[in-house]
Amino acid sequence: MPLLARITERSPGLVHAILALFLLFGTTALQAQPADAALYASGEKIFKGNCGACHKPDVKLVGPALKGIKAKWEGKGDIYAWVKNSQVYLKTGNPMATAIWEEYKPTPMTPIALSNEEIDAALYYVDNYAPAVTAKKEVVVEPVAANDNNWLWLVIVALLFLVVGLSLAGVKRDLRNSVLEAEGKAPVPDLPRMQRISNWVGDHKVIVGLGSLFLTVWLMMLAWDAAWVIGVYGGDEVPHYKPEQPILFNHTLHAGKVDQGNLAINCQYCHSGAEKSKHAGIPSANVCMNCHKAVDTGRNTGKTEIAKIYAATGWDPGKMAFTGKEQPIRWIKVHNLPDLAFFSHAQHIAVGKMECQECHGPIDVQMDVAEQWSPLTMGWCIQCHAQKEVKMAGNGYYDEVMARLNGDENLGHAELKKYLEDGKITVKELGGWECSKCHY
Amino acid sequence: MSKRTHSHGIALGSMLATVMLLASCGGGDKNSPGVEYMPDMYRGPAVEAYVDYGQDPYTRSEELAVSQRERPSARQPVAGTIPFSSDPAKAGFNMPYPYPNTVEGYEAAGVSLKDPIAMTEANVEKGKVIFMKFCQACHGERGLGDGPVVNNGNYPAPPAYDGAQLKDLPEGKIFHSITYGKNIAMGAHASQLNKEERWLVTRYVQFLQNGGKMERGPVAAVAPAGN
Repeated sequence: MPLLARITERSPGLVHAILALFLLFGTTALQAQPADAALYASGEKIFKGNCGACHKPDVKLVGPALKGIKAKWEGKGDIYAWVKNSQVYLKTGNPMATAIWEEYKPTPMTPIALSNEEIDAALYYVDNYAPAVTAKKEVVVEPVAANDNNWLWLVIVALLFLVVGLSLAGVKRDLRNSVLEAEGKAPVPDLPRMQRISNWVGDHKVIVGLGSLFLTVWLMMLAWDAAWVIGVYGGDEVPHYKPEQPILFNHTLHAGKVDQGNLAINCQYCHSGAEKSKHAGIPSANVCMNCHKAVDTGRNTGKTEIAKIYAATGWDPGKMAFTGKEQPIRWIKVHNLPDLAFFSHAQHIAVGKMECQECHGPIDVQMDVAEQWSPLTMGWCIQCHAQKEVKMAGNGYYDEVMARLNGDENLGHAELKKYLEDGKITVKELGGWECSKCHY
Repeated sequence: MSKRTHSHGIALGSMLATVMLLASCGGGDKNSPGVEYMPDMYRGPAVEAYVDYGQDPYTRSEELAVSQRERPSARQPVAGTIPFSSDPAKAGFNMPYPYPNTVEGYEAAGVSLKDPIAMTEANVEKGKVIFMKFCQACHGERGLGDGPVVNNGNYPAPPAYDGAQLKDLPEGKIFHSITYGKNIAMGAHASQLNKEERWLVTRYVQFLQNGGKMERGPVAAVAPAGN
């Protein structure tokens, strides 16, 4: 008899328990798979490589949520042309395109060199996308897991299981002895507990073996995953670092969309260092006071939070004057890049012409409290450097290197030709993967 | 057989509980910046911007923590110093601004302060980029005083640039207002914009004063103020 069938016959409970374990802790393995798994996988790759920085399938990011987008475009325009170069397609005056542009301008979508088949694959992935059901989420739905007493509760539950298990084993033994006694047979000798356990283990080698194997492998997987996220406090794998700040500043209210009743203040109004300096800058309180001299009551928090700015800057709202008594606000720094890596906002904003949201996420639409959106790992950095097309126009930064490449008819032109094989010059190709760009 | 199944169920149940217990190790506290791998390489000996060294987990040494505890990490430049520019054409922008934040200063700036940056389409375009980040929220894209902060935030509306009140405001007064602020509603923007940027914005404001036309025509560049 095959092993599996034997186990099933001998102990259906074990099979159920293993199934239950899988249901609890299995991840993508047990998700509903789309009809065409290969297309889904290739679409996922294309989507993540080309679209994922600005789009998500199910939620709005820099651009719209894309689930069902193909059906929406059906009969209303050429979605392929739109994806490939939205600004060119916009000029055709297509009403669908115009409506989308009106909603999401002024950030145009980067022209993307994909074939129709590749776009189809990416859209297939998006349409069939289902958020990963992970072990963590299952544990979180346990009513005990939501607060700081997690540990205590889990220990209690584990002990409870143990006590119930041992008592039931005792009851079972007593019952068996009664039956044996009734049948006139000698009762099972009352062995010490450890002896009984080791006997049980000896009788159930397959179960114990499989169980230990499963547990060991699973714990190793946990440890492996855990090791990957040491020091990572953003991204999809871990809860985002989202510290409570001394003032309940609401990014969405200040920088959010106009049509949602928000103030749509440009990020750089407050973080004015972003274009000039390594640091975007935590705005000093005088920048708050540029408006809050005239606004002493917040929409959500009333006067309490704004009063903290007044205390920090020494502003007397009654007299409309500064008293000179200042006390710095102790903001908590959210994005802690290790000292071993150099990062400059100016390079990415002024030269790279990136949008803040590409790294900081939808801070203007769904982040009341600032959090670390991206993982800030080296893999995350260099992945973008490998894919991102360098925006040459108008920043002067790449003029010299381009002049040298264009000026050298042999080596330079050969290099350029190699770079342009994929139709774009990426940051990596101009040295964005050099170690010493970031580590020195 | 069924009895056996039960005991297996119980044993596995206990196992499950243990595993869950271990799985909860990774729980994240949103207030904790968490553990670091090799903190020595995470924190350099140089003092980093915006790090509160008086606060865990940044405390490098008690001495540093104490010395930093009550000092803001963002600091004013040393009194009497000016920025350095390697470009001689722009060095003048780094000179101190001579007009005081008073009514007299405002009037004096209106009379004698002139924009060192030429009124050209390129400069107006540059000014517009800065304007859209720093002014548009209140003044609106066309300077009509209809920005989102005014419309959605019920903020006091500034007068339109091409309205009677501001149409003929001289460039010196525009620059002065950006530097020191105006009334309660407009704050000082000198900490966000350097002088060159303020002058570029001034050119765009003048462009809007003229109803979005280059009416005054290109004017010759003169030496930067204070040079």
